[in-house]
Amino acid sequence: MGFGVLALRASRTSSAINRCFSVSRIFANPSNRHSRSIASTPELRNAEAAAEAPQTQEIHPPRTPLAGARVHFPKPEDAIEVFVDGFPVTIPKGMTVLQACEVAGVDIPRFCYHSRLSIAGNCRMCLVEVEKSPKPVASCAMPALPGMKIKTDTPVAKKAREGVMEFLLMNHPLDCPICDQGGECDLQDQSMAFGSDRGRFTDVKRSVVDKNLGPLVKTVMTRCIQCTRCVRFATEVAGVQDLGMLGRGSGEEIGTYVEKLMTSELSGNVIDICPVGALTSKPFAFKARNWELKATETIDVTDAVGSNIRIDSRGLEVMRIIPRLNEDINEEWISDKTRFCYDGLKRQRLNDPMIRGPDGRFKSVSWRDALAIVAEVALQVKPEEIVGVAGRLSDAESMIALKDFLNRMGSNNVWCEGNGVRPNADLRSGYLLNSSISGLEKADVFLLVGTQPRIEAPMVNARIHKTVRANHAKVGYIGPPTDFNYNCKNLGTGPQTLLEIAEGRHPFCSALLAAKNPAIIVGAGLFERKDKDSILSVIDSIAKLGNVVRPDWNGLNFLLLHAAQAASLDLGLVPESDNSIESAKFLYLMGADDVELDELPSDAFVVYQGHHGDRSVYRANVILPASAFSEKEGTYENTEGCSQQTLPAVPTVGDARDDWKIIRALSEVAGVCLPYDNLAGIRSRISVVAPNLLRVDEREPALIHTDLKPDCQQKMSTEPFSSAVDNFYMTDSITRASKIMAQCSASLLSKK
Amino acid sequence: MFARLATKRFLEIRQILLQSPQPSRSLSTALNYHIDSPDNSPDTPWEFSAGNKGRVKEILSHYPSNYKQSAIIPLLDLAQQQHGGWLPVSAMNAVAKVVQVAPIRVYEVATFYSMFNRTKVGKYHLLVCGTTPCMIRGSREIEEALLKHLGVKRNEVTKDGLFSVGEMECMGCCVNAPMITVADYSKGSEGYTYNYYEDITPKRVVEIVEMLRKGEAPPVGTQNPKRIRSGPEGGNTTLLSEPKPPPCRDLDAC
Amino acid sequence: MAKLLKTAIQAIREKGIANIVKELKEGEFVRCLPDGNLLQTKIHNIGGRVVGVDKFGNKYYENLDTQFGRHRWVEYGDKRRYNASQVPAEWHGWLHYITDHTGDELLMLKPQRYGVEHKQNFSGEGDEYIYHSKGHALNPGQRDWTRYQAWQPTKT
Repeated sequence: MGFGVLALRASRTSSAINRCFSVSRIFANPSNRHSRSIASTPELRNAEAAAEAPQTQEIHPPRTPLAGARVHFPKPEDAIEVFVDGFPVTIPKGMTVLQACEVAGVDIPRFCYHSRLSIAGNCRMCLVEVEKSPKPVASCAMPALPGMKIKTDTPVAKKAREGVMEFLLMNHPLDCPICDQGGECDLQDQSMAFGSDRGRFTDVKRSVVDKNLGPLVKTVMTRCIQCTRCVRFATEVAGVQDLGMLGRGSGEEIGTYVEKLMTSELSGNVIDICPVGALTSKPFAFKARNWELKATETIDVTDAVGSNIRIDSRGLEVMRIIPRLNEDINEEWISDKTRFCYDGLKRQRLNDPMIRGPDGRFKSVSWRDALAIVAEVALQVKPEEIVGVAGRLSDAESMIALKDFLNRMGSNNVWCEGNGVRPNADLRSGYLLNSSISGLEKADVFLLVGTQPRIEAPMVNARIHKTVRANHAKVGYIGPPTDFNYNCKNLGTGPQTLLEIAEGRHPFCSALLAAKNPAIIVGAGLFERKDKDSILSVIDSIAKLGNVVRPDWNGLNFLLLHAAQAASLDLGLVPESDNSIESAKFLYLMGADDVELDELPSDAFVVYQGHHGDRSVYRANVILPASAFSEKEGTYENTEGCSQQTLPAVPTVGDARDDWKIIRALSEVAGVCLPYDNLAGIRSRISVVAPNLLRVDEREPALIHTDLKPDCQQKMSTEPFSSAVDNFYMTDSITRASKIMAQCSASLLSKK
Repeated sequence: MFARLATKRFLEIRQILLQSPQPSRSLSTALNYHIDSPDNSPDTPWEFSAGNKGRVKEILSHYPSNYKQSAIIPLLDLAQQQHGGWLPVSAMNAVAKVVQVAPIRVYEVATFYSMFNRTKVGKYHLLVCGTTPCMIRGSREIEEALLKHLGVKRNEVTKDGLFSVGEMECMGCCVNAPMITVADYSKGSEGYTYNYYEDITPKRVVEIVEMLRKGEAPPVGTQNPKRIRSGPEGGNTTLLSEPKPPPCRDLDAC
Repeated sequence: MAKLLKTAIQAIREKGIANIVKELKEGEFVRCLPDGNLLQTKIHNIGGRVVGVDKFGNKYYENLDTQFGRHRWVEYGDKRRYNASQVPAEWHGWLHYITDHTGDELLMLKPQRYGVEHKQNFSGEGDEYIYHSKGHALNPGQRDWTRYQAWQPTKT
């Protein structure tokens, strides 16, 4: 095909005869066709394709929704169509203009709007032009109407946003070089697009007194742009009405009016939602810049919720922890313990294998010597005198390795702490949060039995709070006095109240019976009780009474306390005898610091494998250093049965090794070599025992077998329930080593 | 020579620092945060008086029971009248308890409105209108005369606790500008009055103050004897005849 | 040149030869002979007016008769090792035509509380004056890259 033909075909598409001639001239001359590539019309670049392309071409390519914006149509007939920059999108009725723009893939600048908080509409940054509207419209507060023609990149919208930005910058200090938000600041980013290079404001800038919000949140109130996100967060999510907007006009400021610390277990989240540097992290202040940090997407192990987090590290150090979006578990919040426990990873670390000498002092030795001694002792004692305890932070890989190792040594006395004696590992529905964390939002009546979700699992508590706010769900609580951040009726303190409800004598029964989706949440603190079987059977009868467990709704929930618990029960870490510790001669503690060691015989040989020199180290004969959750790849199952994996963010400290590797090495020295040499091998072993643990980020719901439970003959004591967690900020070896957590418990808990 | 220069500069700076800065925001009487003092702390008990309890109930009855927080403003006003013209923190807490909201929601309202005084005021709180028409007609001179006569600064209470001077925004008496308002807290919430004195002069305002001090009631409204209410000085000049009725459509015709 | 000679002769006539010799000795004239920079300064000094002497012994000259831009100069007190960083801050401005106030005058403005003593720059003159970045082998303080605090088995 000659160029002339091509040109002719091209000319057919072009309407301008003028251009036809020039085109044919260009293409007819092969010598200069490379040099004339300046022609910018697509037909000229690729004449053939242009010729074959349809005449009416879409101006805009199909767009992808922004920021995970999802369109969900509760009622199909409520779908309306709006046009964003000429691009049609179908959205459900009731969405705002800003959400419609997000669905269309157009990012609207905003400060005050946050998808999880109520709409304030006070920053005015999200102004867009709407056809037939005389003025620019604040898109975050404007409901989208059918056929609305929204224009986001017109001169009017741009000018309006520039004007808003100028006003915002009027009183904003030029602090960026010394501001911790620098680099991840909404105001910084948006002033790149809409900010002027100079201001017309010649007056003195406003300055505001800084507030003391406690040891976690640093305030530089002069930087505040009054978006009120923190006020709305505190009221709507954290449930502590401490913050408010005081004053008016240019004197407006965020504050508590009276001197008050922010005593919320979610207070750290205001750092994330603050679009400027007014609220920043106090422990992270002036430590690092965010662009220096390496992000590792992993999960949190300080409680059983398994919040999705991002560990930001620089070199060998974990610099900070921030939340990751997971709608089913933690939405986008994390608790203060999760966020600020990271300095515990740098303190009190075990970095060398150590052996206690005859003089009672620890001495650093090589791995070879340490393992040789452990293996020697393990082979000397009788198999039934070998006991293994997995700690609160153990991952599934190391727990299965520990169990396999002890089984090969001939003992089956292995369990995970916190599960109590004779844990129920047979029915998964007996230890999981069966209605799932996000499923709690469907409930309309909650009965909390022996659990204080606010300190045991703040993210679960946030869900309950959300449900109470949205559906006016009723909450009843049985347990020791504690404070809730939502309306909660304290029904009683002990099993007696439970009996009353089961027998239908309690006033709360009417609420339970009237409920559509009642949810009972049982705390894992009950597992430690001697009469736990009878209590659980009473709870079962309440569940039967309230029709809590149905094929379409399983509202009988167990709220676990520790990250390792669910996986350990899935893997069957159930001890053979109830009082194995009393007769133990060889005790293998895998990060177990909360085990009662008083009844241990004094001649028992204790091996402590863990990452922190916490409580149990002082009783240990041999210390084997292991890696913490931020340094290893491990599988954890959270309280709702969703298995997730951690990823190493930083290298391990000193000579420490992964838990399962240590046990694998030990088994070889002891002559009972475990058959897996790598992570894939150990995971294939897990797949034999509990295949659900390998389906990462997937929730494996428990099957319902309520009638399978054996009848219980145990007598229930009248002893009231005790609180499972004394100090929210210090629950495991990492948080107990943390200085920030110590400060928190000193200043925040004493105030309560 | 250089030392002299340096000294001069130093003196200049000192001068600037010493000048008591005129409050750029003269909206409300206090800061946006609370500082504990003997007569104003969250620990001091505060309650609506027995007589006012009925009025609280009456105010609450105006609003639906699930929107009790609508009563915050009238209740704060009542509390302010009861407490001699200002609101201690404990009074705000008491209001929060009545309307069942978190105290911070009440603080937000109380700090927003300049009419709620969060520091002590005199029994007669004199409010000078500072908005444009009054300012053009000499409200600054009136304030100056007041402050000079009473020997106080703005928002300061006289030694005998009788008077304080504040500024407020337009009260809608522009036709009789300049004007002041006297909020009389001397008789508690029962005898509380809030009177306008219009068409005042620096001389007249001092007279009004002296009358108030003696316990007399100066005539409210315009202080210009030649005017009747807001009518022009010396009687009407236009619209002297009976006004023509508006042309009405004859509805029966169609 | 003729002018130079004339001023030299005038100076000798005024001060007497003995005084001149004494001055030359005090000014380490012999040491200046092999060093072109110093000798040039010495020759330049003839006819110059000493404006001030700082506490390091640097002499500041001014001669308004010479070419503009070269009418202020310094004769360093240290004849062995001299460089521009030996000029203290207060004289720097005068010397570089930033201000007409001499260093003695500007010394009054020096902050009493936090004004630090002038220190000349010793860069490249011995280890203690060289900055080695934290990864450098010669940086003594930064060898330890441990970023955690190990548990100490002190208690038994």
